[in-house]
Amino acid sequence: MLTPLIILSVIALTTGLVFAFYLSPNDYQQGSTVRIMYVHVPSAWLALLTFFIMTVYSIIGLAFKTPFSFIVNAAVAPIGATFTLICLITGSLWGKPMWGTWWVWDARLTSVAILFMLYLIIIFLKNSFTNDSLGEKITAIFIIVGSINLPIIKFSVDWWNTLHQPASISKLSSPSIDPSMMRPLIIMTIAFTLIALIIAIIRIKAEISERKLKN
Amino acid sequence: MHSVNSILALFYRELKISYRNFSDILSILMFFLLGILIFVFSIGPNTEIFNEIGIGVIWTLILLSNNLSLRKFYQNDFNDGSIILLHMSGLSYELIVLIKIMIIWIFLQLPFFIIIPLAAILLNIELPNVNLILISFLIGSPILTSIASISGSMNLLNQRNFAIGSVIIMILSIPIIIFSVGIINASEEIVRAQLQILIGILFFFLAITPWVSAACIKLAIQNK
Amino acid sequence: MLLANNISFYRNNNIIFKDVSLALPPQKIINITGANGIGKTTLLKILTHVLIPKKGNIFWNGKNIKKNLFNYYKDVTFVMDKQTSNINLSVIENIFFWKKLFSSIISKKEIDAILDLLSLDNYRNTPINYLSNGEIKKLELTRLVIEQKKLWMLDEPYIGLDIETINLLNETFINHTKSGGMIIFSSHYVPDIPNIENLQLENYAQR
Repeated sequence: MLTPLIILSVIALTTGLVFAFYLSPNDYQQGSTVRIMYVHVPSAWLALLTFFIMTVYSIIGLAFKTPFSFIVNAAVAPIGATFTLICLITGSLWGKPMWGTWWVWDARLTSVAILFMLYLIIIFLKNSFTNDSLGEKITAIFIIVGSINLPIIKFSVDWWNTLHQPASISKLSSPSIDPSMMRPLIIMTIAFTLIALIIAIIRIKAEISERKLKN
Repeated sequence: MHSVNSILALFYRELKISYRNFSDILSILMFFLLGILIFVFSIGPNTEIFNEIGIGVIWTLILLSNNLSLRKFYQNDFNDGSIILLHMSGLSYELIVLIKIMIIWIFLQLPFFIIIPLAAILLNIELPNVNLILISFLIGSPILTSIASISGSMNLLNQRNFAIGSVIIMILSIPIIIFSVGIINASEEIVRAQLQILIGILFFFLAITPWVSAACIKLAIQNK
Repeated sequence: MLLANNISFYRNNNIIFKDVSLALPPQKIINITGANGIGKTTLLKILTHVLIPKKGNIFWNGKNIKKNLFNYYKDVTFVMDKQTSNINLSVIENIFFWKKLFSSIISKKEIDAILDLLSLDNYRNTPINYLSNGEIKKLELTRLVIEQKKLWMLDEPYIGLDIETINLLNETFINHTKSGGMIIFSSHYVPDIPNIENLQLENYAQR
């Protein structure tokens, strides 16, 4: 099952990187630093997608008591956390040439930072119970509570940001993207998703083996 | 199913227990005031700065003081089996959660209505702003207590990580501080909008908290 | 009448016990015996719906307790191995709390009589933290009489009691069954009561 995925992802990644570094234009304002976007945006997408998947599986796991749902949660949480971290670091690297500082309290970066902390809480919470089956259920409840709060938090951070910086427009979210930039963006997003899927499958298999061993 | 006697019995018992542990409440208030003091020490007695950040400091400390109520919710009753007893008297877990939240709000949040103006005096905050703080605190404090209830119920059998309960409270409290501090020095429409959002968040948490806390308590009981 | 049919309980896919069945009609006493860790407390918790069995059903007066829980609870007193009296309250405050919580119609005279019988009368207004463990345990046992319910479930009731109290407890058990009640408890200690049925959990356990 993995081999076709690996082949696909290698193709997608090489195509994407070629497009990202050679075949797409520079931004007229930012120059070539805009190319960080091709890593930053797919990471953000994956960070959110993973959280969404964990929420769905948490609901299924609590409602139907299927152990596979909790296996997915445990396997996929660190992947989401890693991509959120990549998003934060690339966002910071992108911001340095533009704003001169490593960190800025842009609404989006702040929300992503909070999302990263949510991921860490999920990972830590699961490991803080000596009873594993209890830990995964409580973590699933927290994931559901967290995912409902996520739009509230995002909304409040946006509100806070516009309240304090009414005039600035975030350069990280351009109003419209030229198709020549959109193409590599989509290819890179697909590549990242495939890579994440491969890692997820490997981790799920490892998680299943670990549980079999424990029993 | 729910007899009025049982509800009143639990209510009075919790009142009595809280009243006899009054030093706990006073300690939380002292924590708050000491926090204000520490901010003053860290920033310096320059009163002009306080005008700008004083309100944020007060709300931050309200959030931090909320952490201290974490273990008060269900831990003792869970450990000595009372929570099973209460359930067997006909009270659903959701109702037990509701009564606990009410009592803890009365004893641990209500005193802040006196302490917040005191802190405002210490930080030279003007009177109209103090009113705004109290209004947003009136709406925000039940939300904070509900969040603490959720975290407290989740961490009943947590024996390894003692800090994560407070971390959960802090991260869920972010919207409340944003909208509560946001109403200061804002135009009237924005004040109204933010208060409405706060009330919306309040109703949301009042709706989900009994259910979530009860689910976590049941999980803890089944896995002891 | 309490009926349990083929109760099986698993923990992490390990069988704790399998196909336990029992019938507890009025005036009967069952003693669950077995080595430490065999699952006596677990069985009692299953019978009170604190834990959910993997298989099997429990019926009270013909109705499944899962669907009829609060009606079932109206007839059950569960004395656990923990002491539910609150350390911030005195002996009499705990008793009045239980009385009101369970809407009991026990009279003040009867309460005084119980306290006198258990030699707790001098401690009426003493906060619990001044009592010894045995006295706190005695206080917990007063719940049996205060709640005035038909079905009594107790987890290791004899631990920590002096001989006088043990005899008192046995007498209370006998009186309870004479007036139509039923009792099920777990104990290592074999009490001096006639006509007790023993449920040896080893027969159902898989260890």
